[in-house]
Amino acid sequence: MTFVGYLVDAVSLGALYALIAVSVGLVFGVLRQINLAQGEVMAFGAYSLWIMRALPSWLAILLCFGICVAGSLVLQVLVFRPLRGASALTTLIVTFGVSYGLEALWLVVFGPEGKPVSMLIKLNDTVVGGAIALRWITIVDIGTAAVLLIGLYVLLFRSSLGLRMRAVAEDFSIARIVGVRIDRVVTVAFVLCGASAAVVAVLETVQTPLVTTTLGLSLIVVALVGVVLGGLDHLARATAGGFIVGFVNSLLGSILPEQQLVFVTSLTFLFVVVVLVVRPAGLLAPRGAGAERV
Amino acid sequence: MRASLSGGGEEGARSSTALLDVADLRVTYGRSVAVGGVSLVVHEGEVVGLIGPNGAGKSSTLLAIMGAVRRSGGDVRLSGKRLSPSRPEEVARLGVALVPEGRHLFASMTVRENLELGRLARGDRSPRFDDREVGQLFPVTEEFRNQRAGLLSGGQQQQVAIARALLADPDLLLLDEPSLGLAPAAVTAVFSALEHIRQLGVAILLVEQRAEMTLEFCSRSYVMVGGRIRFEADRSTPIESVIVAYFGATSTAASEHER
Amino acid sequence: MAGGARGVLPEPARARLRLAAEALGPLALIAIVALVGAQLSTADKTDAINVLVITAIVVGLYVFIGNSGVISFGQISFVAIGAFAAAIWTTPVGTRDATMPDLFGFLASPRLTNLESLLVAAGLGAVMSLVVGLALMRLSGLSAGIATFAVLEITYNVLANWEKIGPGPTVIANVPATTGIPQAAIGCAIAIAAAFGYQRTRSCRLLRASRADALAARGIGVSIFRHRLIAFVLSGAICGFAGALYVHELGSVSVTELYLALTFSTLSMLVVGGSQSLWGATMGGTLLGVLYSFLSNAVSGTTVFGLSFTLPNGLNTIIFAVLFVGALMLAPRGLTRNREFLAVALGERAPHPRGPVAIALAGGDGESPGDVETGSSGGEAASRSVKFTPGQPSP
Repeated sequence: MTFVGYLVDAVSLGALYALIAVSVGLVFGVLRQINLAQGEVMAFGAYSLWIMRALPSWLAILLCFGICVAGSLVLQVLVFRPLRGASALTTLIVTFGVSYGLEALWLVVFGPEGKPVSMLIKLNDTVVGGAIALRWITIVDIGTAAVLLIGLYVLLFRSSLGLRMRAVAEDFSIARIVGVRIDRVVTVAFVLCGASAAVVAVLETVQTPLVTTTLGLSLIVVALVGVVLGGLDHLARATAGGFIVGFVNSLLGSILPEQQLVFVTSLTFLFVVVVLVVRPAGLLAPRGAGAERV
Repeated sequence: MRASLSGGGEEGARSSTALLDVADLRVTYGRSVAVGGVSLVVHEGEVVGLIGPNGAGKSSTLLAIMGAVRRSGGDVRLSGKRLSPSRPEEVARLGVALVPEGRHLFASMTVRENLELGRLARGDRSPRFDDREVGQLFPVTEEFRNQRAGLLSGGQQQQVAIARALLADPDLLLLDEPSLGLAPAAVTAVFSALEHIRQLGVAILLVEQRAEMTLEFCSRSYVMVGGRIRFEADRSTPIESVIVAYFGATSTAASEHER
Repeated sequence: MAGGARGVLPEPARARLRLAAEALGPLALIAIVALVGAQLSTADKTDAINVLVITAIVVGLYVFIGNSGVISFGQISFVAIGAFAAAIWTTPVGTRDATMPDLFGFLASPRLTNLESLLVAAGLGAVMSLVVGLALMRLSGLSAGIATFAVLEITYNVLANWEKIGPGPTVIANVPATTGIPQAAIGCAIAIAAAFGYQRTRSCRLLRASRADALAARGIGVSIFRHRLIAFVLSGAICGFAGALYVHELGSVSVTELYLALTFSTLSMLVVGGSQSLWGATMGGTLLGVLYSFLSNAVSGTTVFGLSFTLPNGLNTIIFAVLFVGALMLAPRGLTRNREFLAVALGERAPHPRGPVAIALAGGDGESPGDVETGSSGGEAASRSVKFTPGQPSP
């Protein structure tokens, strides 16, 4: 495989992480809450695909959407609504606990062995063989992410619902005073998160057809890194941050030798620490943007 | 003297034609009392002032009417209907619009988007005016339609903020210090706009520090000091007595604080 | 009882009694665990030792998190560093040559005694936390949470892969198992004594004041950075020390034991006990430590009152997650309501400035006074609406 091939793969993984990052950014924008549990909604979706492995693919995918949206809404009612008004940090800590507990729940229910999902396996075939080795799933990844992100942009900036969501994100209190029913806006945000989780669950299981208990937390932690690097407070930057982290990770994974590869995690997190200390509003944010400091 | 005056206000509160009826409203932040039992009335189409020195609890009163800060006691009714103490979005949809102090536009949005959000609370009601009238009343909203609201000057933002509130077609407009930080010309513009709004039949509860201007503009004014209403004035009330109330009450507030 | 103490004794005497209870309550609890543990069979004795060591870690977490009100997911890093240092330097040189051939020279040759290794682990914990703290102690709230999590990830990643400083992903074996009940109990008591001594200092009082109101503390010229750093370094030292106790308990260690699971369970213990008091940390550590040991055993099969059963693996974590999330959401002040031992009975009125109720862990963010009143549900607008209410009276 050539460098171009690696690049295309990196764009594909970046696109996947951008989708996760945009969900985290959306909830943070609207509610100032950190949604680490998003990862477990994706894991839940992926396991549901294994449960429904006997069903036709289109039906399983459809049901997976319903399941992820329902899961997302249940979390909103049980976890996020009671935490409204709490600090973002509290939500980070609580949803970390929720994620950790759900991961253990998958272990109890599904066991430690990975569950094979062979759905849409043909998407892993190559479109163009040889040097570039382009697979169908890569095209699907990039295409889906592009369509969804554009769709989200249109929703946010070209619809009345999006206007209301942006109003809540910009100023929660004033939005309520002009008559925005925040509960509906929040519900929409979590429906979108659920749908995005389903997309990621499907794409991820097609590429890596083995669902394991750590799927959710490992994906969400990397996405959160991207969101922080890009800038939590700004949806487009957060999404771009998610994309960059996925892209760089994939590219380094392809070109670095194994011995150095293991320390990529350390370098990534070291980078996170440096950014938090030096540019707390995010790497992509304009200079001088504020953050919590003493 | 205080008792008899505010007692008179409460008598008025019992009358059936009141649009807004606030009874014994209380707001506390932690241990400090911001509003300590305020009762006031605004009738349909009436323009009422709420004046008092800095920290008197005027803004808190407006926010509590709106349900945007938690009330620790009291009752707020609009045309006899109790207003939710914690859901400002529902209060807005019942026909109360608030222009908060400091204007608070959605700074990253365009003027047009800000105004569109203003229309939200209107629901399906057909408004008492044409939206174009609002544009004529506030030419800024037409001129800078596609400009980001945060980039406008203070006076322009105030006009957009009032226009946004007006587009909700409210029965009652709550205004918090609309003249604060504005140049004299901008203040004149705001007050002439308010005069038009009054003529549309919208009732106004106007919070101001500029006592003289407010007394003249409003048909009645409440003088609020130290979280309580001390005084009810009208156009014939000499400004001196209001000033005395300000200062007298400051010392009263100080003595209450020691208690 | 409260009325009695209040009626009989004058306030200065009660204050002295409160102070004595603050130190002796946690120590007595440790003594009880040690004494009960000493009566148990060899197999169960391990559990008692484990409870004591885990409590020392929780006390270490408390010294920083409880006093500063800033979350850290990174303290287990210092436990891991202490554990690795103590393990490597106490294993026989021959074992080191055989299992860890790539070690740096300074790690490969000298052999320390048990006591030396405990001191070195504490010192290393302090040094590492000083390095980390100098970089991170200006961060608060969310940034601090994410940055300390990054520290945990980096430590884990390096320890798990760098074979010049340790065994990498494999196990260090043949570590002298010197942590019996006496060493665990004395070690835990030392951690508690250090935490108690520290919270008597002016630096700690200023830090606790800053937790309640960061803005006001800064206004009177308190260097939050410096006082946080002191707490962080002491916490790092205790954690490193506890890591050494840990590794001498089992005689072997791998880095996966000193990662997310331990971070999560010790944080749960701190939160459930009450994160802002030493008594809360000790209670949480011992009570939940017992539960933790019991559940860990039950997962691999255990017998209670002649009844043998095996819990599914993962159920232990689920139970801890439920306790953790439940405590944070429903009772953020924990079992002890953030009070020291017997403090209320001995006439303490309200010594702790009330932190944000829903946010036991996350104080010190400089939240506006309105946040204090925001309970859980209902008044969700209040916390944010306060920012445009300059009209409140300034007392």
